[in-house]
Amino acid sequence: MALEEPGYAGLGPRIPLRDLVPVPRLAGAVWLRNARVFSKLWRGALLPTFLDPFLYLLAMGFGLGTYVAHINGIPYKDFIAPGLIASAAMWSSAFETTYNVYFRMNELRLYDNVLSTPVEVQDVVAGDLAWSASRATVYGCVVLAVVAGFGLVSSWWALLIPPFVILGGLCFSVIGYTFTTLIPKIDLYSYFFTLGITPMFLFSGIFFPFNQLPEWVSVVAWFMPLYHLVEITRGLATGPELASILENAAWLAIVSAILFTIPVRALRKKLVA
Amino acid sequence: MLSDGPAPAVSARDLSKTYGDRLAVAGIDFEVEPGICFGFLGPNGAGKTTTMKTIYGLATVDGGELHVLGMDAARERREIKSRLGVVPQETNLDGDLTVRENLLQQARYFGIDGEKAAERADELLDFSLLAERADERIQTLSGGMKRRLLISRALMGDPELVVLDEPTTGLDPQARLAVWNALDRLRRRGVTLLITTHYMEEAERLCDRLVIMDEGRIVADGRPADLVLRHVGREVLELRLEEGCDPDRLVGSLDGRIQGHDLSERTLMLYADDAEGLLEGLDHQSFPTESALVRRATLEDVFLRLTGRSLRE
Repeated sequence: MALEEPGYAGLGPRIPLRDLVPVPRLAGAVWLRNARVFSKLWRGALLPTFLDPFLYLLAMGFGLGTYVAHINGIPYKDFIAPGLIASAAMWSSAFETTYNVYFRMNELRLYDNVLSTPVEVQDVVAGDLAWSASRATVYGCVVLAVVAGFGLVSSWWALLIPPFVILGGLCFSVIGYTFTTLIPKIDLYSYFFTLGITPMFLFSGIFFPFNQLPEWVSVVAWFMPLYHLVEITRGLATGPELASILENAAWLAIVSAILFTIPVRALRKKLVA
Repeated sequence: MLSDGPAPAVSARDLSKTYGDRLAVAGIDFEVEPGICFGFLGPNGAGKTTTMKTIYGLATVDGGELHVLGMDAARERREIKSRLGVVPQETNLDGDLTVRENLLQQARYFGIDGEKAAERADELLDFSLLAERADERIQTLSGGMKRRLLISRALMGDPELVVLDEPTTGLDPQARLAVWNALDRLRRRGVTLLITTHYMEEAERLCDRLVIMDEGRIVADGRPADLVLRHVGREVLELRLEEGCDPDRLVGSLDGRIQGHDLSERTLMLYADDAEGLLEGLDHQSFPTESALVRRATLEDVFLRLTGRSLRE
């Protein structure tokens, strides 16, 4: 079967506030569908998540770490470990809100059915985003468990990491979802990953700190959601600086809230024209 | 138009819909009484599916007014959809879920959960004769089973109005019969049915009333039998003409004895109340024919008369 390309529908007109506020029960129905499907597949899906941080720790921590003993007074393995929790959440959100949502929307055409029930576009978007953030948190927690198992987490504050991973996962998800509702064809995801997700993974302070690099590097990093989540997870894993953690959390919350309207508008234009 | 009967299930006044600069629905009026089966017929691209989509909220109303179950389709979309069931043209069942899970998930979209949803799913699995396949994946079902499941899914919210877009396209005769029977059972329960189809026999069999659409407009409206009488007459004489036979002269010679005619390649249809008599009186010497057939007029004749015989799209 040839892939049918959805075409570019555009952002769509502004919509009134009441059409932006989801009904929790119906968004929950959308969440439950995704959770139900995941519950059938999680064994296969989670295995790479165990292996992934393990490989990075091996290559970077134990490989590169032999040459770079400490960063900012922290052993190199301990320095990168919390960042891998954040990046696991990012990768999970990125895949869920791109290929998975695309498949449900354009191949399975599930949303045509959902939207002919009392569920409206804002409920679908909210339910999908909440699910993607939940899934990201599962992945993040798996990595947290792995690095804690390796003894790379030194503070009990790390127990507070999961709720912040939900928030970070939400922010990554809104960005991926926005991309999905705007792109006319599936090929464009390679740009999303090559120009967006991968650079963010490499340059958000997971593997090296910015304090000895030129000022502009930090400025660029400030615009990347992953940077803020890495600051939070590292802060909690090594003992907290509460003000900084709250500031980074606020960044993630505000960006998520502002961007939420875009996929709602775009999806409405696309499916309820 | 004022009617004294019960409030209509659907009423449209000058309803229009444009996609870009294409006028998909060009200002149509119709009214659907509650409890009947109402049909939309028309060639591809006539605007049937678009009209349906405005009713179930997947297309906005661009002009005119549309009321569904007494509510304004432009403003009360969510409320309308909570009392509606939709069977789409395209099979969009959830392939990651089993048959039963598809029904349970649909219940959740209507805010129905737990015991009540489970009971309803069981009831509808029986209704669609799928109880034995309840725990199988969608991929294992035949086309007819998927269609029946789509109908059951549309009933999970206990709708007053069910919209079916080409419910039997692509089905074999037995599967089509099963769908027809399911729709009969529904109508007996008092559910209003709105259906689009290309199959004239389906429309004749199922629909109490129907409209024929062409190029975004309604070109005929009425009961199937009345439409046949009004636009065609009782019978049709179908003649396959030989090369030397001039159809115009033949028709001219029958002046006053036929209600109309159509020519498609070398086949001439003559519409008359007594086609047998017409055939007997025909001057076979002047108008040689390869074959002649007398038959009852059908909705198909009406359809082809009103929407033309040339290929669409």
